[in-house]
Amino acid sequence: MKVVRRGVAVLALLLTAATLYAQQPAVTVQADADLIPALEALIAAYDEPVAFAEGEAALIATTDPALLPPMGVAPHFLPGAFFVVNDPAAADFVEFAISADGQQALIDAGLLPASVTITDQRGNVLEIPQPVRRVITPYSLATYMVYGVDAEDRLVAGGYLGARTPLGIERMTAIDARFPELSGYVMNQREINVEEVANLDPDVIFTSARSAWLDTVAELGIPVVLFQGESPELLIEAMRITGQVFGPHAQARAEAWIAYYQEIVDRVVEQTSELAEDERPSVLIVGQEALRVVSGEMYQTDIVAAAGGRSVSADLTGAWNDVNLEQIVLWNPDVIVIVPYSNVTPEDLLNSPEWQIVSAVQNGRVLKMPSWVAPWDTPVPDSVLGVIWLTQALFPDLVDIDCAAETVRFFDAFYQHDITLEDAAAVCGAGA
Amino acid sequence: MTKPRSQRQWLYYGLLLLPFGLIVFSLMIGLYTIPVENVLRALTSLVYPPAADGLSSTELTLVLRVRLPRVLAACLVGASLAVTGAGFQGVFRNPLVDANLLGVMTGAGFGAALALLLELPSGVVQLMAFGFGLFAVMLAYLGSRLYDTAPMIVLTLMGILIGSFFGSLTSLLKYVADPLNTLPSITFWLLGGLTGIVWNSLPLLALTTLGGGVFFWLVRWRLNVLSLGDAEAITLGMNPDRLKLALIVCATLMTAAAVAASGVIGWIGLVIPHAARLLVGPDHQRLIPVALALGASFLLLIDNVSRTLLPTEVPLGVLTGLIGVPLLIGLLRRSARVW
Repeated sequence: MKVVRRGVAVLALLLTAATLYAQQPAVTVQADADLIPALEALIAAYDEPVAFAEGEAALIATTDPALLPPMGVAPHFLPGAFFVVNDPAAADFVEFAISADGQQALIDAGLLPASVTITDQRGNVLEIPQPVRRVITPYSLATYMVYGVDAEDRLVAGGYLGARTPLGIERMTAIDARFPELSGYVMNQREINVEEVANLDPDVIFTSARSAWLDTVAELGIPVVLFQGESPELLIEAMRITGQVFGPHAQARAEAWIAYYQEIVDRVVEQTSELAEDERPSVLIVGQEALRVVSGEMYQTDIVAAAGGRSVSADLTGAWNDVNLEQIVLWNPDVIVIVPYSNVTPEDLLNSPEWQIVSAVQNGRVLKMPSWVAPWDTPVPDSVLGVIWLTQALFPDLVDIDCAAETVRFFDAFYQHDITLEDAAAVCGAGA
Repeated sequence: MTKPRSQRQWLYYGLLLLPFGLIVFSLMIGLYTIPVENVLRALTSLVYPPAADGLSSTELTLVLRVRLPRVLAACLVGASLAVTGAGFQGVFRNPLVDANLLGVMTGAGFGAALALLLELPSGVVQLMAFGFGLFAVMLAYLGSRLYDTAPMIVLTLMGILIGSFFGSLTSLLKYVADPLNTLPSITFWLLGGLTGIVWNSLPLLALTTLGGGVFFWLVRWRLNVLSLGDAEAITLGMNPDRLKLALIVCATLMTAAAVAASGVIGWIGLVIPHAARLLVGPDHQRLIPVALALGASFLLLIDNVSRTLLPTEVPLGVLTGLIGVPLLIGLLRRSARVW
């Protein structure tokens, strides 16, 4: 008897669940007429019901730029076509539509190309079959570009600059729970294990044009996209290439980031354009050691220029340069900025008897550039925050720009990650 | 072609005085132009403070806190590397070795690389370099004690083994180092350079160089005997093993301190003793003081070029070869002496 009663109870429960499930309204979508074929393709490939509706729909599929949210970060499923999400219940469908599976459905429907042709930053023309489901990024800076275009779900392994410290690990894990798994490989510009790469079976490899192992990996026949991002123009191009590789959503993100970057630079230029050359503070950016400075060929020099300053070491060439204190006295910078990953602290210089003859030290203007995870002085999407922070540090009274508020906005838009205003203010103020 | 005795005498004392003249000259040059008079006044102010009146704090700081410690460090490092090279060549009766034979530099390089990888402060980097330099030689020595016969051969072999072991360890550290920050630090450090020298970097180096220099000076005659071979040394009433051990300990301390201050600077320990032999002959009585003076002068000269040629520092490892090889070939051509 007991067994039968229990069986009936279970049956009843299952029935109730099934009824409830059947009664649950399907996700509704309202679409522009020309987008209906694309939606039909997506709905057919999706394993839950989605219905078309007019008005009050959970989702609006449109090409109307007026409906784009601030910073343009809407989910795009076709070039120029995106969703406006009115009901969080539709989030899973949206996630599907912009995923590799959604992209595949649209390719099958003939609405998206089955492969894209890109020109990488070495000038190599590559044909990359779509969708790209697995990417590895031995070049750390490219890892953050993949995050910046919201394609981190396609990452299978990568290098992560600035995420080696306990704080960096904690923050990166909060941004992406898969971080420990993705970063668990030894791969960088100098070293990679070809067999491991073969095991990871990537569709595409993103790396630096200076990687030492290109010839070996070329044997695998996997498309290798080469980057060299040491200027704003090259960084913008690199973001655009990254977007192209991952399809319409990533492309839209890349354009949104580029627009934001240009907006920030324009805002700073507008507010500092009146300054004569001698009113611009001279800035020295120092690296891992106090006597190791950036060259004019490095991205840091462009950040200084974008922020309205003058880099004193712009005539140097190559990568990091060792100099001696006499040269620094000759430059006599107004401000010294220490990169985020340096061992040197502002106090080291401020308390050093030798450095007292440098103007920046006399005036107490020695700052450490902050970072959340990726260093803000390197060519990564986050470097826009480097421009903002440096501008605020150089012109606290002149320029109206708020590092903390922009940091919150940036991480929300490009990493889909919430940072509290207090945390952002602490980071922005840390060096100042 | 034997030169008159008086001429050789002049040459000998001239070589001994060379570093002192070069030190004064070196203080006058730099990227930042300071009039000669002001350099001299800044120096005078060390003993007579009012001499500094009217000098800017920039000039005073550059001469007394930047140039002076660096110039002295270059002399001390150069002297240490050269005299220990001469000593090792005598002890091992082999003109093709320097103090790195037993792995002191590779050990020190590993210690520094480890400290840089762990992002320890620069003082600790120096101490780790010093400590691991000594540790490597100690390992080589203890390893050689396992055998009773032909200790010098075994010691040499152990030194080479330990050296390559630490070399591999350093490569391993470079492999795991962060390419953004710790790797460049390790690479730059291993190239050698004196740009970061301040007064605080000097005490250990000064102690080992002066102490070691005096020691080598005192045993210079015994080194001559040692070069003849152990049997001759014993006949003359010496204990060659004990003397060799003392020389090795002393040379290791000096080299470890030099490497800790300046990074790995090769070449000097090998070549300067030969240059000294070309000039004053193989007698250690004169060879040791001249090696000290010549090593100091040579590294000082190289470092002057390194810090003044370009706005950026030219790595010492690049210049030692580029400047040293033509100098040495010139010396060889001028001298018919054979060593």
